[in-house]
Amino acid sequence: MTGFDFLHALDEARTPARGAEVYIEVGARPAQVAPVRVVAADLAARADFDLDAVSDLRMAVDEACSTLATLAPPGARLRCRIEVDLDRITVTARITGPGSAVISRNTFGWRVLHTLTDKVEVLARDETETSSLGIRLIKERRTGAA
Amino acid sequence: MTSVATPSSRPPGDSGYHHLTPLFAEFAALPPHHRRRSQLRDRLVEGHLPVAQHIARRFAHRGEPLDDLEQVATLGLINAVDRFEPDRGVDFLSYAVPTITGEVRRHFRDQGWAMRVPRSLKDLHVTIGTAMSELSQQLGRAPTATELSVHLNMPREQVVEGLEAANAYRGKSLDSMLGDGDGTSGTLADAIGTADSELERVEYREALKPLLAELPERERTILMLRFFGNMTQTQIAERVGISQMHVSRLLSQTLAGLRNGLASG
Repeated sequence: MTGFDFLHALDEARTPARGAEVYIEVGARPAQVAPVRVVAADLAARADFDLDAVSDLRMAVDEACSTLATLAPPGARLRCRIEVDLDRITVTARITGPGSAVISRNTFGWRVLHTLTDKVEVLARDETETSSLGIRLIKERRTGAA
Repeated sequence: MTSVATPSSRPPGDSGYHHLTPLFAEFAALPPHHRRRSQLRDRLVEGHLPVAQHIARRFAHRGEPLDDLEQVATLGLINAVDRFEPDRGVDFLSYAVPTITGEVRRHFRDQGWAMRVPRSLKDLHVTIGTAMSELSQQLGRAPTATELSVHLNMPREQVVEGLEAANAYRGKSLDSMLGDGDGTSGTLADAIGTADSELERVEYREALKPLLAELPERERTILMLRFFGNMTQTQIAERVGISQMHVSRLLSQTLAGLRNGLASG
């Protein structure tokens, strides 16, 4: 080890991403969700989540956004908020516009979301009625050995 | 993409593969976990490599390195060997040529949006992959970016870039594809048994089952262990004998494939 200060590195590593709140909006189409999963995974890696968790989050975001995009009416947008806290990352994805689509919890896709995250919930129409449907994912930081 | 050769355009020396034909019948007749299967699989793949190389060369000079094309074509060949059913009355090449061509075409389609990754980042990807398996052994879980940077004595930003490259780089290591055969040791088979009974609890499993059956054995194994066997990617990597990064990549691809399959079915 030549002058590499672990504690300094750790501190520097976690500071920029902690408390970050990032918004991304793309067209609500399956082909357009890639940037969302890339940003979510990058934030998780920078916040020093272990790389299993980073990969799990990337797949979960892909699954959630693809599901929403498939259910979205033509021309809808997919609005995502990614919040990085010390112990968890929360991804909230919503499709804009009216709609009556629902997300079934009995599917393989739901099983995937449930396995890859610590908490997953379906969001109904929001207060301002700009969104008819959404999914919120929470991935918590694991500490110590698996 | 209309300029691609049709399945009827065979590589030269077509007749040079006849000696391999009887091996397919033997390969197909063996039970899934039989030791001789992976030997036969390797011989069939290696024996037909010129076919894959020939197809890869047809796609050369279109912006993708020939090395990558040959890897992709070889992957297509491996899939063709795994899925070929000799008793259907079609010869292997008639089945394999379109399969391999399709794999190479898909590679071009995927590259249409995937980032281009410079050579140095690919090397970094290998360095990080090696460090990840060492650290996973020590820690009993996947490392974090900071742990990797300390282990490699490398700036953290560079590690994060390398990790991003690992995800943009969708190629597969040929060695790992050929190396581990069916990937089902005794303990692995037990784990899959548990996962199978978990699968019974999912609704719509009837729609899922035929799609799972079409997956290559290793992809199916990894998927079952992650989603029905409650194992982490690092644990699966150790059981199956490939890297965590490779597990991650295979899982992502398999999920995307299943999503398309379920949506269209």
